[in-house]
Amino acid sequence: MWSGRRLFPLLLLALLPGLCHGREPVPGAVTCGSVLKLLNTRHSVRLHSHEVKYGSGSGQQSVTGVEASDDANSYWRIRGKSDSSCQRGTPVKCGQAIRLTHVNTGKNLHTHHFPSPLSNNQEVSAFGDDGEGDDLDFWIVQCSGTYWEREDAVRFKHVGTEVFLSITGEQYGHPIRGQREVHGMPAANHHNYWKAMEGVFIKPSLDPAKHDEL
Amino acid sequence: RDFYKILGVSRGASIKDIKKAYRKLALQLHPDRNPDDPRAQEKFQDLGAAYEVRPGAGNVLSDEEKRKQYDAYGEEGLKDGHQSSHGDIFSHFFGDFGFMFGGNPRQQDRNIPRGSDIIVDLEVTLEEVYSGNFVEVVRNKPVARQAPGKRKCNCRQEMRTTQLGPGRFQMTQEVVCDECPNVKLVNEERTLEVEIEPGVRDGMEYPFIGEGEPHVDGEPGDLRFRIKVLKHPVFERRGDDLYTNVTISLVEALTGFEMDIAHLDGHKVRPRVLCKGEGLPNFDNNNIKGSLIITFDVEFPKEQLTPEQREG
Repeated sequence: MWSGRRLFPLLLLALLPGLCHGREPVPGAVTCGSVLKLLNTRHSVRLHSHEVKYGSGSGQQSVTGVEASDDANSYWRIRGKSDSSCQRGTPVKCGQAIRLTHVNTGKNLHTHHFPSPLSNNQEVSAFGDDGEGDDLDFWIVQCSGTYWEREDAVRFKHVGTEVFLSITGEQYGHPIRGQREVHGMPAANHHNYWKAMEGVFIKPSLDPAKHDEL
Repeated sequence: RDFYKILGVSRGASIKDIKKAYRKLALQLHPDRNPDDPRAQEKFQDLGAAYEVRPGAGNVLSDEEKRKQYDAYGEEGLKDGHQSSHGDIFSHFFGDFGFMFGGNPRQQDRNIPRGSDIIVDLEVTLEEVYSGNFVEVVRNKPVARQAPGKRKCNCRQEMRTTQLGPGRFQMTQEVVCDECPNVKLVNEERTLEVEIEPGVRDGMEYPFIGEGEPHVDGEPGDLRFRIKVLKHPVFERRGDDLYTNVTISLVEALTGFEMDIAHLDGHKVRPRVLCKGEGLPNFDNNNIKGSLIITFDVEFPKEQLTPEQREG
């Protein structure tokens, strides 16, 4: 007689443990929704993109390393594999797959089987539209420990081609003189360590509706 | 000092209520806004002490530990005392350079170069649109600090005319710079609070003045949070109205039924086709709410009814 009645879901509001006491569980972790700059620790340049396309390879938007610390084109947004898979403020786990979306152009950090222009490694580009690209936009955060801590240097391993996001020092000429080539390489070494630097880091959120914590 | 009275909240107020109260009063009591009030500075400082934001140290009424101490022992009972620097507190909610009253973006001298703005998309749930929320964010940014020596600044191209001989001139382009005190960029961190106001709409922005990219020769740009309202599995938003769908069986449709649905903050609603006042709060006036419109889907049985079902 009650066939077809749909039980209405009780609206459960996400609440991370320990939050009611005003302290987050992982104070120094990078969270989804955060916007940040990534520094390659070996070469001291920041991951960067801009509206300049590769002249060879895929012809997609280029990704480089720049020395300046105050360039707004070096900001990347951390997102989960899908829009629902990593809520705003959720700390990123070591081993988790994420997307890095270039804030100013809306394209995702991407790599594929094209050679990079200077070193003949694998070309790394910025691909997609308004944050939506394809299956080659996913990178695994490799770190020791449970979460990606802001102070730690981590590696980014590509899901699909298994290469590490790296810089080995080759420099471009005009019109992006001095910028370094960013590419994917299969070996894990000191060229593929990156550290979160400047940015807007979102802390896990307080539960909106039900708080009578004090 | 009675910190609760200064903020205008009850002793049992939640952290969210305290933050909301601070934010509202900070705008009202800022000395720039009350030039005729001789006690404006004092009132503003009291407000700051009650809220008390110090980078890394935590707030009085909004920090659980400190609040317990204050509740038990009063202001003297607070352990390491407090410095209320209202610059810190204010910029926690509104960004550097304070907040320009009068509603206009700051009157910019067009000659002062400005760093880039940063726009951060802030995803919010429909629950947050209904009840409001605060999002804490850590801003790590390069700040220009004094360094020893001098540097070249305001470099520009200028045309120089040199005389080569009688009646013969040559024009060349030259880079000319001024001399300025040396600066270096040092990374600094501070916590900011973004308030998600009830009724907020997709695309609305919350700016933090001066929290964008720095410019060595000028002013920093702004940091702007842009609201992106996420789709909700149960409710659909249209303006201030909410739409949802309820499926009932044929029997219920014929004989009537009783059912409650849970709203965005958990309170129950007895569904009718139109429930006035059960929509979202209006952004400009939170007391006015839109409507909740419920459509009923009747599920017709797929096979023949058995004799028992027909009886029921």
